[in-house]
Amino acid sequence: MIEITEAPIDHAALTERVRSNRAGAICTFLGTVRELTGDRQTLALDYEAYPEMALKKLAELEQEARKRWPIIEAAIVHRVGHLDLGEISVVVAVSCPHRNEAFEACRWLIDTLKQVAPIWKRETWADGSHEWVHPGLRGP
Amino acid sequence: MSSITIPAIVPAAGKSRRMGRPKPLLPFDGQPLIGRVVTALRLGGASPVLVVTPPAQAAEGPPIAEAARQAGAAVITPAHWPAEMRESAEIAIEQLGRDGPPSGFILAPGDIPGITPEIVRWLLERSAKAPGSIVIPRAAGRRTHPIVLPWDLARQIPTLPRHQGINALMTAHPERVIEIEVAHPELADELNTPEDLERWRRRLRSVLTIRLFAVARERAGRAEIEINLPLPTTVAELRLVLALQHPELAALAPSVSIAVDSEYATDATLILPGAQVALIPPVSGG
Repeated sequence: MIEITEAPIDHAALTERVRSNRAGAICTFLGTVRELTGDRQTLALDYEAYPEMALKKLAELEQEARKRWPIIEAAIVHRVGHLDLGEISVVVAVSCPHRNEAFEACRWLIDTLKQVAPIWKRETWADGSHEWVHPGLRGP
Repeated sequence: MSSITIPAIVPAAGKSRRMGRPKPLLPFDGQPLIGRVVTALRLGGASPVLVVTPPAQAAEGPPIAEAARQAGAAVITPAHWPAEMRESAEIAIEQLGRDGPPSGFILAPGDIPGITPEIVRWLLERSAKAPGSIVIPRAAGRRTHPIVLPWDLARQIPTLPRHQGINALMTAHPERVIEIEVAHPELADELNTPEDLERWRRRLRSVLTIRLFAVARERAGRAEIEINLPLPTTVAELRLVLALQHPELAALAPSVSIAVDSEYATDATLILPGAQVALIPPVSGG
């Protein structure tokens, strides 16, 4: 199950959604808005997505993960819009027969999502300045 | 690559009455039409390219001559308006004869936007395999321009009855005509009226909408931009045009990821009309 949403994410409901009598392990990852990056203080994050492509890429990730691990159910939900400190930006929930598979699949999904999904975040720092986060992009 | 080279004659002294302004100077893809025609001929292997312009005293004479020269043509400016295309051709044929007669030449009116280097090359190659033939392209079901004429027939043009055009040669020598079918119907699409021009503009300058996100959106100040370029094109070509038409994105253009129809593209990826294109700065979700 794949979703991009502006609403707060109910992580417990997603964990519940992937539960199954065939699963012996469920791994749920939450990404949350952190206040400190080194010594810089974040006030808030704004997320933006290219929705059509992001949904397509997330669906491809789920398919690829299902080829690699015996996934029973998976849920990948990313939030967009304005998020305050501590709020949940992303949830990846995976159920598998055994815990190693669940850990590996969940970790691969969030790691790969961060590399390929067309989603961006903009920092609002404590001094009120804004900055898009673009790893590897040189200045103008 | 072909090494076949024959001269080209480009009559560009028409009065453009129905268009209402000089056709050779109409801008196509950022250059005057006469420049587009001369460039296609030169890239296709024609050399030299002789352009016959209106006389110097006509308002459009000097600018047409200048545009033709800039594209690499040799210019012939007659003292008086040539009455017909045939007369322009005769003036150029006379000059070619003085410079040492060629085996033939390619005759291309200065108002055919559909001419391309490939079409010119096909015609010259076909002509080289059948010396002495008249080679005529056929597009959209009919004969069109440009044509290759052998020199012995070209010399007959001045002796044709006054009311006849160059087509009379084809009628008189059907056994020497070779038609080649070209898969470019627009080659036969004439440019005579403002409506024709509008149709050509739409055909040549497709508009591509590009979606922008994050820093790209911020730099452009909007979520979508439009780019004018002929389609289909490649992502590599798009990068160049993007930097030229939207300087605020020029720093991103060479290296930013580009998505075509929701897939990460390579520089070789083809962009077809109707494609969904987006700039994808380095992602930071999660």
